[in-house]
Amino acid sequence: MTPQVLAIGMAIVLLVVVVVLLRSYVLPEKYAVIWLGASIAAIVLSAWPGLLDTIADFFGIASSINLLFVGAFFVVFLLLMQVSLELARTRDELRKVVQKLALEIERRPKDDD
Amino acid sequence: MRLLVAIPALNEAAAICGVLESLSRVHPLEHVVVIDDGSRDATARLAREAGAHVLSHAINLGVGAAMGTAFKYAARNGYDAVVQFDGDGQHRPEHLADLVAASAGADIVIGSRFAQGGTFKSSAARRGVQRFIARVASLYARTKLTDATSGFRISGPRAVAVFAEHYPVEWLGDTVESIVLATRQGLRIAEIPVGMNERAGGVPSQSVLRATLYTGRILFILILAGIRSVPREIRASSPRDPKAAA
Repeated sequence: MTPQVLAIGMAIVLLVVVVVLLRSYVLPEKYAVIWLGASIAAIVLSAWPGLLDTIADFFGIASSINLLFVGAFFVVFLLLMQVSLELARTRDELRKVVQKLALEIERRPKDDD
Repeated sequence: MRLLVAIPALNEAAAICGVLESLSRVHPLEHVVVIDDGSRDATARLAREAGAHVLSHAINLGVGAAMGTAFKYAARNGYDAVVQFDGDGQHRPEHLADLVAASAGADIVIGSRFAQGGTFKSSAARRGVQRFIARVASLYARTKLTDATSGFRISGPRAVAVFAEHYPVEWLGDTVESIVLATRQGLRIAEIPVGMNERAGGVPSQSVLRATLYTGRILFILILAGIRSVPREIRASSPRDPKAAA
């Protein structure tokens, strides 16, 4: 078994996980695009390693593995940034909802509903 | 038949009074619910003063979530059918009776702008995209639909039972995905021609890049709707057997 087979296998597992999550309504469409993109890119790069060398040559990077590290780091950075922003937004929305609920309960103290 | 008219509304203070006023001529406002989806203007207050029931979302959740709230409200209050009606005056109240009449033969009846007799004018590109969406939706629904993105529709008792459990919340989900979901649950979908008024606002996407992204996103959503399974909430509760749900 070559390392390439392992890499392709892992990339395919990633794609299958994304599709299964998407199918079962766990992963919303909004986040699906970036994950599908990442898993398809992983499959393409592991199936044609020469592609990485070609792109590295284009950017003048001597060792093509560095391109992979920089690229992957950048993608992870973007994903983390998205998660942070979403978390902040969700907390903000949660605060608004709780505040509204508190005001509604105060308005109707005898209502058990 | 107990009929609820549901109006999802976001910042419709300018139009909501007129909409409710024209609606009140064909349907009592006692059985109209306005779902104020986190409006920043006086939409909720105006609708309440006009005599409609108002459910206010604390934050903006989108049309799909607003209709989800409406279906939960309908199920809780014993309504047999729900008509979705636009808050900006696009839909015409006189078609309400047509939808109700047609709902005898189907679980969901869509008011189509493009069916024979419909009188909606729109740009060629927009029309083309909508025609394509309708064609794919027709495949999923196994019946000919000419306007899958129309929000003017009636949902009968079986559809209300399904949608009270789950209503698609994502973009285009409230129109296209709801059709796919209903079909998967064994519901019958039909359409009737309706006329529609010009939408008050609405900026059509102009640039080539935006149009391409828009079309790509629609394609993605249509494929997604096809491969998605039935949500857990619905699988657990709603029977596929028509007699059990009737």
